[in-house]
Amino acid sequence: MAGAGLTSAFTPAFAKAIGSADKIRLGIIGTGSRGAGLATLIREMPDYDLVACCDIIPENLQKGLSLAAKNAKGYTDYRKLLDDKSIDAVVIATPLYLHYPMAVAALQAGKHIYLEKSMTYDIPQAIDLVKKVKVSGLVFQIGYQYRYYGLYHRVKEIMKENWLGKITHFECQYNRNSNWRFPVKDPKMERAINWRMYREYCGGPLSELCAHEIDVVNYLTDSRPVKVVGLGGINYWKDGRDTYDNIRTVYDYPNGVKASVTSVLSNAYNGYSIRILGDKATVEILRDKALIYPETTNNAKGVVDGVTGATIAVTTQGTGVEVKFGKPGEAQLEPTVFALKDFAECVRNKKEPVSNVETGRDGSIAIHMGNAAADTEKVQYWKPEYSA
Amino acid sequence: MQETYRIAGQAQGTTYAITWYADRELVNKTQIDSIFKSLDASLSIYQSGSLINRFNASQKSIEMDGHLARVVEKSMEIFCQTGGLSDITVYPLVRAWGFGAKPTDTMPDSATVREILACVGSDKLQVRDRRLLKTIPCVQIDVNGIAQGYSVDVVAGFLEARGISNYMVEVGGEIRTKGLKLPDNEPMKIGIETPSVTGFDAPVIREVISIGDGAVTTSGSYRKFRESGGIRLSHIIDPKTGFPVQREIISATVVAPDAITADGFDNALLAAGINGAFEILNRRPDMQAYFIYRQPDGTVADTASAGFGRYVVAKADR
Repeated sequence: MAGAGLTSAFTPAFAKAIGSADKIRLGIIGTGSRGAGLATLIREMPDYDLVACCDIIPENLQKGLSLAAKNAKGYTDYRKLLDDKSIDAVVIATPLYLHYPMAVAALQAGKHIYLEKSMTYDIPQAIDLVKKVKVSGLVFQIGYQYRYYGLYHRVKEIMKENWLGKITHFECQYNRNSNWRFPVKDPKMERAINWRMYREYCGGPLSELCAHEIDVVNYLTDSRPVKVVGLGGINYWKDGRDTYDNIRTVYDYPNGVKASVTSVLSNAYNGYSIRILGDKATVEILRDKALIYPETTNNAKGVVDGVTGATIAVTTQGTGVEVKFGKPGEAQLEPTVFALKDFAECVRNKKEPVSNVETGRDGSIAIHMGNAAADTEKVQYWKPEYSA
Repeated sequence: MQETYRIAGQAQGTTYAITWYADRELVNKTQIDSIFKSLDASLSIYQSGSLINRFNASQKSIEMDGHLARVVEKSMEIFCQTGGLSDITVYPLVRAWGFGAKPTDTMPDSATVREILACVGSDKLQVRDRRLLKTIPCVQIDVNGIAQGYSVDVVAGFLEARGISNYMVEVGGEIRTKGLKLPDNEPMKIGIETPSVTGFDAPVIREVISIGDGAVTTSGSYRKFRESGGIRLSHIIDPKTGFPVQREIISATVVAPDAITADGFDNALLAAGINGAFEILNRRPDMQAYFIYRQPDGTVADTASAGFGRYVVAKADR
């Protein structure tokens, strides 16, 4: 981690100091479904004043402003929002192809940035953004909220404590049984609203859904993939989209650990799920809980006729045991709230976020490698220059 | 011709296994499961409407059935012999600490514990013929610490009544054996497991014993506990302090003539600590015990009462 860098080596070029009691003056660029969702959470947080919103679609902008402070300003041109010197930080929640130009412009304007995942549209942008963020001295966080969620902290902890034994595989899926479209009133707006269907704007299910899981595997293994194979297609939703409606990839991590990452848009059984396979147990991570399934190893049998020991609850045999996390009585919050709280903390104390430009780069490059593997039907390798 | 017969299943929230050696089947699973049903209807805090739950909900008293009467009688006896360390009226504390029928997320503070302690103490129970009475309405009992051992005895008694005299009955790690394995006339071997790190690790054998005609049970908090601020809270609550037991003993294995005795004492021995446990054992020559405990430097060691050695099967004979 380059965590120490921010405080010492770089002096923010523009950003003004924000006291611990001060509210952070925030603007949101992109108040579509995700941006408005973030605004809803931000509204309840004492850390922020949401003072500006920007969106090219009038309904979205209106929705954003309805969640913002009184007198908040509305923009259709994000550069105008960035020109407002009173704004400390911006959330960028726009289609993927806009992430890089908007993030670069926001850095130039001296804004701290919370950029939604995934980080960039392509690999060169990811590499370049790392350089630009590093020289800026600004706080730059990627919206991988699960890095801030107690559930994943606990899973990482029990992996370290060897509850699962030797871990050899991850099985990740992010499935849904829907066309993944938003309704479009004016046909001219199809590509602006349903940008997820088009490669011109994003990487499809891998960049918009599985991105979280790839980042989670990177986080849990403290590594990044070495290579990847994949197959994808448009075999179910033949509705004019050109991003995959199904993709299955296998990432190879250091020491032969493999992670399959799948998205299927025609089946929703256990829609979001990450299974971690160890030789002692399996952990299955679902949306807001995780279960452990111990392996039944009868190493006691044969030697003796019976075993005396503390009672094994029958629920621990063959069925899952829920992984407890968090403190007793602690409120269960939306994981994004923890991510946004930490962003505020980083802005105030000039800390490097846990989900930062380098972990963001690793995620984005892995996504592009996975799509490239499916597109070319050839193994894609992590190149040394990606992380030089 | 002597055959080996086995019945295995689930009961009392855990598994059971019965093995016997005879020339005929003599017992079937339906019979065993109906025994467990009758035990649950009487003794289970997890079953709504059970006799024990009706007593807990009652203001004054209830009429006991045979199961509850036997378990209460034995519990009162052990309450006296352990200086109150084993106490079935601990249930309100067990619930407050989140180990009752309904798990909780909260932890009681010391004021709450003090308040609950007013309802705890087997001196607040009275038995008049078949009636079990409480002196104050808030008294509630939990016989989980002894019921499993008692169940083993009930099943063993059933086998014996059917003419079976070579058997092993095991319910959730509590065991009773009688006779030998036929036709080879071999003694039955029982593994004592090493406490696992996690709540669900498969058992690993640390010692092997053979106890002839008798029972062996093990108590330990390594499978059932809660974590709070990095500290493991044992499911065994000290009825005197009202707080979870924090002792050096990780597991206590007790050999006794019957399983209700072994099971009735094992929690108390664990709560008494090594020295206290040996004091209790000195007064009970019919009981032997083996302890796995944590030494002050953090390493794990074991120790046993003087008479325990005769049960241990030498490594060469395992």
